[in-house]
Amino acid sequence: MLFVGEFATMTSKMPDGKAMRDGQIFSARLNNVVTTEREFDELVTKSLPELLDRATSQTKRFLRETNQWGDDITHEKLALRWGYELVERFVVFGRTEVPCRPFFLLDSLIAKSFSQPDPLCYHKELLTPVGRFLDGLASRAVVSRDALIALFYHFYGFSQAHVVKLLGFGQAESQRVYKNFERWRQSGWQRTMNETGLTGSEIEVLEEELRTRPDHLNNEVDRLMPVLQSHYRKSEPEHYPCLSEQKWGQLFHDDYGHDYRVWHLAFCRDCFLEVADRRQAELSSGSKPQVNLHIHPLKKGGVLALFGGDRGGRQHGHTRAQRLSRTSA
Amino acid sequence: MDTPELNDYRAHLLDALDDQPRRAAEERPGFLQVLVNHERVGSLNCTQPNPTFAYTTKDRSIQHLEIRSESGVLLGGCVAPEAGQRSLRLPVGKGSLILNIQNHFDGGSLQLRYEVAPGWWSHVVSAIGLPTGTASTAAPIVPVWTMATTFAQVVLAVGVVALLAERVPNWLGSEDRAHQLEEELAARQSTQDQIDQVHRQLAQLVEAQSTAMAVSRAEQDRIAQLNTLVDTVAHTQQKLSSQVVAVQEDLKTVKTDVAQEVQTGMRVAVSAVEADRDMVRQDLQSIKSVNETLIKQVALLESRNRELHARLALTSLEVAKANAAAPKPTVVAKNDPPKDTPVPTAVPTAVPVSDALREADRQAFMFWVAFQDGTTEKSIEDLVQEINGIKKGPMKSGWYSVEVNLPNPEPPDRFLESVKRAKIVKSVVTSKAMPPAQ
Repeated sequence: MLFVGEFATMTSKMPDGKAMRDGQIFSARLNNVVTTEREFDELVTKSLPELLDRATSQTKRFLRETNQWGDDITHEKLALRWGYELVERFVVFGRTEVPCRPFFLLDSLIAKSFSQPDPLCYHKELLTPVGRFLDGLASRAVVSRDALIALFYHFYGFSQAHVVKLLGFGQAESQRVYKNFERWRQSGWQRTMNETGLTGSEIEVLEEELRTRPDHLNNEVDRLMPVLQSHYRKSEPEHYPCLSEQKWGQLFHDDYGHDYRVWHLAFCRDCFLEVADRRQAELSSGSKPQVNLHIHPLKKGGVLALFGGDRGGRQHGHTRAQRLSRTSA
Repeated sequence: MDTPELNDYRAHLLDALDDQPRRAAEERPGFLQVLVNHERVGSLNCTQPNPTFAYTTKDRSIQHLEIRSESGVLLGGCVAPEAGQRSLRLPVGKGSLILNIQNHFDGGSLQLRYEVAPGWWSHVVSAIGLPTGTASTAAPIVPVWTMATTFAQVVLAVGVVALLAERVPNWLGSEDRAHQLEEELAARQSTQDQIDQVHRQLAQLVEAQSTAMAVSRAEQDRIAQLNTLVDTVAHTQQKLSSQVVAVQEDLKTVKTDVAQEVQTGMRVAVSAVEADRDMVRQDLQSIKSVNETLIKQVALLESRNRELHARLALTSLEVAKANAAAPKPTVVAKNDPPKDTPVPTAVPTAVPVSDALREADRQAFMFWVAFQDGTTEKSIEDLVQEINGIKKGPMKSGWYSVEVNLPNPEPPDRFLESVKRAKIVKSVVTSKAMPPAQ
């Protein structure tokens, strides 16, 4: 069996013999029945490497069987990332399922996850550094409102104030947006990069490319966004389809559907551009919005000039940093 | 594949998994995101009073439920059965989230309610035994040490109250007593007003309760009617099912009978056809034998005919010789036949013999003739009349059978040669068995 073979290989890669022996002991225990939540927590805490390896190997097997596997580090990282997300759910859900056999429960969770229609956002071009960056952001935005709000900045360069104006938020919601930006800046972005598997050098390369060839990179983002968004947009409630221009206008005029605005506009480039174009008066901008990639989160107090008309290298190069006005430290 | 980068990444993910419970515990339950089947369906604001959330889906059951903080930290969740009910109480922050999932095969509903953990005052009140609004929703199991702490708090509170009761009159002067009495009276009045208001509210509540009871009874009646209706429908369905089964059995029987009848009919028809075939075979054999007999007879007749022709020729020769030996015998014989000569006896017999020979010559002679292409029927009829013949039967494969009475004792070959010389004649044969193949 492929799974057993891979699992054995991964287990044998443990750094020392003691860890490997411990792993074998836990492996046996993970096949037995766990009767209490406390026992489950203790066992799972000690068996995380085995659980991660098991979930990762099953993800690999799924990718192989669907002809989506390539023997390279990018695919290995993708499998690890998906394995991690599966184990995270298992750790939280499993407590509610005792008594259970942990390995069986994990296997059933994994099987259930992969039996969903289109469970992975897999596209060969999303395996490039910029593709993985976008995928990581969008994947996180599905579960984190902080990341969701930050998408407006990373994709289009919208600051907090602009997001508030674009979405037509009131005072209370504006405060939430600011809080979202703050948390994202402090820890969210870095955690997302770590969990996506982007190394510091890869991010530096991206930054460098954005400095030297901004148009090229933005065109690449513009091309990949539909692939990415069409996959992750399924995370919206099904009653959130694209709206006509008239309905968007009505929604803003009658001041309802705030959640709808955030979710849909962050995950639908076409609707975003349409709404941003329509609300140019509120945004005090004369030029049309367009894709404008930002790698790092907006620094504290930084305000960007909205809708830079020319996205040429000069504005994205060193001069772009100068356009940030520091209102606070 | 084993690279330092990959190992680092794996180690980082393991750290994140290890750190997950701590992060979840640190999260304050403010704004909770609700994800059903990995899709965000709404949020629950726990800072509001009595926070609840309800969600219904009609096309898919609720299989995965995730509760995440606003920053995306997974705080709780569960897997629900595809059909059935699942109720859970998940600890979130200092409170707990009570969730109830009801699934059908084609949809499901979710109800969430966040309950804040009761504070120390609630414990005091419950320890004293006073009824509180949150008593019913508090956690049912209270550990022993918590009860001891509560008891200590109660003792402390009673002591403080006693001290205050002792000291406060000393702090306040006697001149303030009247003012205190007035305040007390005002407070009593106010309390009385509040009590009256509560009475009124109670009356309204009783009224609302009676209305609700009436509605409930009506609903129960409706449910009873519905149950009766469902029973009737079930009974009818059972009847229908039994009838369907009976009809299916009848159909099976009819099918079997029809198949047997068809098989019997087939057998009879096949045997009849076989008998007919035998009879036809026997008839053919008898016809064949008759045909062979006829062929033999025809051959015999032909040989006899040739023999007769040979005799006729011989007889004609003898007659001619006899005529040459006795000149003018007919005149003498007619006028005065000689009485002494022996020859005259032969003369009177000469004429009948000659007639007999002619009669023999006039016997039917059949032959087959083929005509040139494009010869009209009229030309054919003319030729047949010219040779005093008769057409026997229709044309077969381009051949006409013709029967003639030869007018003189000339041999048939000469006659046939004369026929062949006709322009419209293509070929002539004398085979009498059957028409020659073309």
